[in-house]
Amino acid sequence: MNWSFFVTTMIVYTVTSTIACWGLDLQFGYTGVLNFSFIIFEAAGAYTASILTLGSPTAASNVAQQNYFFGANLPFPLPWLAAIVVGGLLGLLVGVIALRRLRGDYEAIVMLVVSLTASYLVISNIGFLNGSAGLALIPSPLQATVGLSTSGYTWFYAGVTALAGIVVYWVVRRITQSPLGRALRSVRENERAAEALGRDAVRLRLLVFAVGGGMGALAGAILVGFINAWSPGAWGFPETFTLFAAIIVGGQANMGGVALGAFLVPGLIFQGVLFLPQIGAPGFVDSLQWILSGVLILLFMWFRPAGVLPERRRRLSKLASRGGAAGSEA
Amino acid sequence: MSPAIQALGFGVVTAGVLAPAAVGISMQFAITNIFNIAMGSQLTLAAFIGYEVNHAGATIWLAMAIAGLFTGVTSVLLNRGLFQPFLRRGTTFFGILVVGIALLLILQYTAQAIWGPSFFSYTFSQGAQLQWGSLTFTRAQLVILGISVVAMGGVHALLAHTRFGKAMRATASDSDLASSCGIRTELVTDVTWFVSGTLCGIGGVALGMTLGAFSTSLGSTFLLEIIAAAILGGIGQAYGAMVGALIIGIVAEESALALSSAYSQVSAFVILVVVLLVRPQGIFPGVARSRGLAG
Repeated sequence: MNWSFFVTTMIVYTVTSTIACWGLDLQFGYTGVLNFSFIIFEAAGAYTASILTLGSPTAASNVAQQNYFFGANLPFPLPWLAAIVVGGLLGLLVGVIALRRLRGDYEAIVMLVVSLTASYLVISNIGFLNGSAGLALIPSPLQATVGLSTSGYTWFYAGVTALAGIVVYWVVRRITQSPLGRALRSVRENERAAEALGRDAVRLRLLVFAVGGGMGALAGAILVGFINAWSPGAWGFPETFTLFAAIIVGGQANMGGVALGAFLVPGLIFQGVLFLPQIGAPGFVDSLQWILSGVLILLFMWFRPAGVLPERRRRLSKLASRGGAAGSEA
Repeated sequence: MSPAIQALGFGVVTAGVLAPAAVGISMQFAITNIFNIAMGSQLTLAAFIGYEVNHAGATIWLAMAIAGLFTGVTSVLLNRGLFQPFLRRGTTFFGILVVGIALLLILQYTAQAIWGPSFFSYTFSQGAQLQWGSLTFTRAQLVILGISVVAMGGVHALLAHTRFGKAMRATASDSDLASSCGIRTELVTDVTWFVSGTLCGIGGVALGMTLGAFSTSLGSTFLLEIIAAAILGGIGQAYGAMVGALIIGIVAEESALALSSAYSQVSAFVILVVVLLVRPQGIFPGVARSRGLAG
C-alpha cells in the first residue's frame, strides 16, 4: 500500500469536505436553513474550475473529444475564484426561488427537488457538461510550474488545500464571531423575534446561501484539481447527506466539531475504507457506507443531538462585563 | 395532432402511476404532520418485493397486492418505531425531516446491497393493444390506470363518506382537539400510515411495470415527480395530489414528445418552480396556508 498517496488523499478529502461542511453548517447550524441541495454547489464549483482549466472544447488539446459549452485555460488561482463566484451566484438564484415565500421544512423538500433536477439537466444535455460521462483529464493547477514528481506534487497539493482550509476557517470565524453571526443565530432561534428587532430574515438567509454556496464551490474546485475528473455520479442527491451526517456527528455550529465530523464521515467512512481490501460484490461496500451514515445520523439524533463537540453557548453577561471593562477591545 | 393525443393518453397513465404515491405522501403530511421523504426508497423496496413474489411464480397483480400490503405494514412499523419516538422526544420538524433522510439512505442502500446495480423486469403479459380513436393502450396499462382510479376512489370514499374518514379529517385539522373529543388519534395515525404505505407500494410495482426494466434507483428517480405532484396540488391535500399527478403526468409526456424524452423529468421541475414563484401554496392551499408553510 502506498502510504504517501493514502495520506495525501485523506488530507485533500478531509479538508475539502471540511470546507464544504463549514459552508453547509453556516446555513444549517448557525442560521437554521436546511439546504438539501448543497452538493450542487460543490458540483458547480468543480465544473467551473474544470472548464476554466481544460481550454476551449474545439481546441486540438481536447483529445478526449469531450463536449462542454465553454472552455478557457486560465492561470491559477482564477479558476478557483471563478468557482467561488459561480457558487455564490447560484446560491442567490436558488435562494430567491425557494427562500422568499416558503417555511423552512417545506423549503428543504423543494431543495431536494432542486438537487434531483440539476442532475437531470446535466445528464440530459450532453453538450452542456458532457452528460453522465462527465469531464476527465482536468489539469491539476500549477503542476507544470512547480515541476515536482507525481508524489511530490500530491504533497504540494495537500499543502495548498490545507492553506485554503485555514483561509476559509478565518473567514467563517470572522462571520460567526461578528454581530452578523449573532444576527444569523437570532434567525435560527426565533425568526419572529429577530424580525421584530429589525433583522431581515430573508436577506440573512439569502446571504448564507450565497456564502455557503461559494464555500461549497471552492471545495469542489479544490477536489477536482486533485482527482482530475468530475461526473454526475459524484454529486447525486445523497451526497449532500454525507455532509449533513458529518455535521450532526461532529456538532452543529462548532467549527472544530464539524471538522471532526468531516474527518470521520466523508473522510474515514467514505474514503478511508476504499484503501481496505474490498469485500462482497462490486458496490456492496459502497452500500454499507451509506447505510452506516444513515445509522450514524439516527444514533446521534437520538443519543447526542448536539454532536460530539456541541456548540459553545455564549454568555451575554460575560461579554457585557468585558465590554464594560475595556472599550479598548476594539 | 395524433401523436399529441397519444402522449396525452400516456400522460394519463403516468399520472395513474404517480398519483397513489403522491396522495400517500400528501395524506401522511396532512394527518400526521410528518413529511416522509423515505417514501422514495419504500417505493423501491415495494417494486423489489413485487419482483421477488412475481418471480416466485405469482401473477403480477398478486405481487402488487403483496407489495402494497408489505409497504403498508412497514410504514406503520416505521412510524411507530422511529418517527413517533422522535416526536415524543420533542424533535423538531427539521429533525424529523433529517430522520426521514437517514431512513431513506438506510432503506435505499439496503435495497442496493441486496439487489445490486442490475436492472430487473417483471414477468407479465402486456395484453392486447386496445385502440380508442387515436389513442392506443395496452391492456396492462389500462388495468394499472383502473387500479389507480379505484384506489383514488377508495381514498375519497374513506375520507368523505365514512365516520373514520371524518375522524381522519378532524385529526388533520387539529390533532389535539380531535384527541380531546374522543377520537383515537393513534389509531387514525396507524391507519393513515397503512393506507399511504399501501398506496406507495402499489405505485412502486405499477412504476416497475410501466418502465419495463428498473433498478434500485427507481424510487429516487421518481421522487422528483411525486413530490412535484404533491406540492403542485397543495401539500397535504389528497385531491390536490391527484390533480397534481395528472398535470405532471401529462406535461411530462407532452414535453417528452415536443422536446426529448430526457426533458420529461425537467418539465416537472419547471412546473414546480413556476408554482413556487406564483402560487407556492399549490392549487388547493388549505393545509399549506393554515400551517404557514407558504404564502
